[in-house]
Amino acid sequence: MERSLFEKYGGFAVISRIVMDLYDRLLEDDDVGPFFENVDLPRIVDHQTQFVSALMGGPASFTDEQIRRLHERLDVNDAHFDQLKVLLAETLSDHGVAAEDIETVAQAFEQRRGLVVG
Amino acid sequence: MSIEAINEQLLRAIGVGVALLDLRELRFRFFNDTFREWFGDIEIGQQLTDLFPEFDVAAMREAFKDSRRFTTEASFRLRRRTMTIAVTIDSAEEGGEPIAVLVCQNISRIKELEAMIDSYSMMVERNTREIKREKEQVEKLLLNMMPRSVYEEYKSFGVVTPRLYEDVAVLCLDFAGFSEFVVENDAGVVVSELNDIYTAFDRIGDQFGCERIKTVGDTYITVAGMPDPAEAASGSIAHAAVRFVRYLEQRNRSHPMQWRCRVGVSQGAVIGSVVGVQKYIYDVFGPAVIEASQLRQLAQPMHIVGTRAFIQALPDPYSSEPVGTLDLGGKEPEEVFALTGRLDAAEGA
Repeated sequence: MERSLFEKYGGFAVISRIVMDLYDRLLEDDDVGPFFENVDLPRIVDHQTQFVSALMGGPASFTDEQIRRLHERLDVNDAHFDQLKVLLAETLSDHGVAAEDIETVAQAFEQRRGLVVG
Repeated sequence: MSIEAINEQLLRAIGVGVALLDLRELRFRFFNDTFREWFGDIEIGQQLTDLFPEFDVAAMREAFKDSRRFTTEASFRLRRRTMTIAVTIDSAEEGGEPIAVLVCQNISRIKELEAMIDSYSMMVERNTREIKREKEQVEKLLLNMMPRSVYEEYKSFGVVTPRLYEDVAVLCLDFAGFSEFVVENDAGVVVSELNDIYTAFDRIGDQFGCERIKTVGDTYITVAGMPDPAEAASGSIAHAAVRFVRYLEQRNRSHPMQWRCRVGVSQGAVIGSVVGVQKYIYDVFGPAVIEASQLRQLAQPMHIVGTRAFIQALPDPYSSEPVGTLDLGGKEPEEVFALTGRLDAAEGA
């Protein structure tokens, strides 16, 4: 069986650092940060954990329908989505994820654009 | 620089939030840089509850009756982030005035990590449940393909040792006119009918300790006396055979599709083994299987045919009538018989 990126980069021990780092960057970012302004900490962290885990082929349970519902009340536009993509790529790169693997993750992320933007 | 000045600078720059309060009114008299970073526009003289509206002052005063220390946790927002601090408050005196010394550790990261571990463990638990469910389905599927003891052996060792079973009773059955039926009817109907009938046969066989080995189209093979030996294996097979016929008779009365089976029963040695590597199947083969299959060919629709030896060895007496001879590898063709009914009356449906 082919190894997922989640396994390739050391499983949860390493992915957890990526999740926390991304969490810091998202909250600091003035474009996408405001979306998290009034959300409970456990909820944001839960979403981020599942988000990174799903994109890297680890365990995750959000279905496309759930992703769509979670974002339908938010006014996410393409610029926000692009910015998140940049932050995600930067974070992965800083944690030693190879360029081609970042591209794989970015593609998986891009596939969900329609569920989030709109 | 004096020691006091160094101390003060250290206190200001340290990563722990430190503040002094007038204990009576709980107003700030001092806070260091870290504390100010957290609360920005805080001013000397401001009240503690302005910063922490949910701070339990009564609990603190109660704690100070017994000891000089009170600990609690408090949360606040720093920009968009939920910050959590572990607060230790010591009561002290300065110049005769009661004061409170607040020491605050930033434990936000710990809280964030806790939330992440919660999230991850929930995902893992869900996955574990799914894997368990899938494992059960695979097990169920494999148990449909082989006896449990064989499956256990396969699970433990990854292989099944072919085994010779000396004394196994075998029932081999097919349906008269099946080829025509297949041609004349829709494939879905054929499969659905066969499913229905085979399921009933399996249930009947189960009652008598028979184990269905396989079906190939309209051929159905079940055995008794393996993998665990059974004293009355031939009796089990005969009972099952009689009930298969009776079940079909009953079914034909209420169904538009008429099914008439031909049954051969036999007893002897068989080999049981998993055959194949990629597409494996548990199979039995050997003299008893071949004999049952040959006897079935001699059976008229809705009849059960066995050898004289088989019928005589049955634990319960059955009436029978000769139906012809068959070359079973002996010196001469052997006379074979159709079972016509059980002779003792004590038999339920």
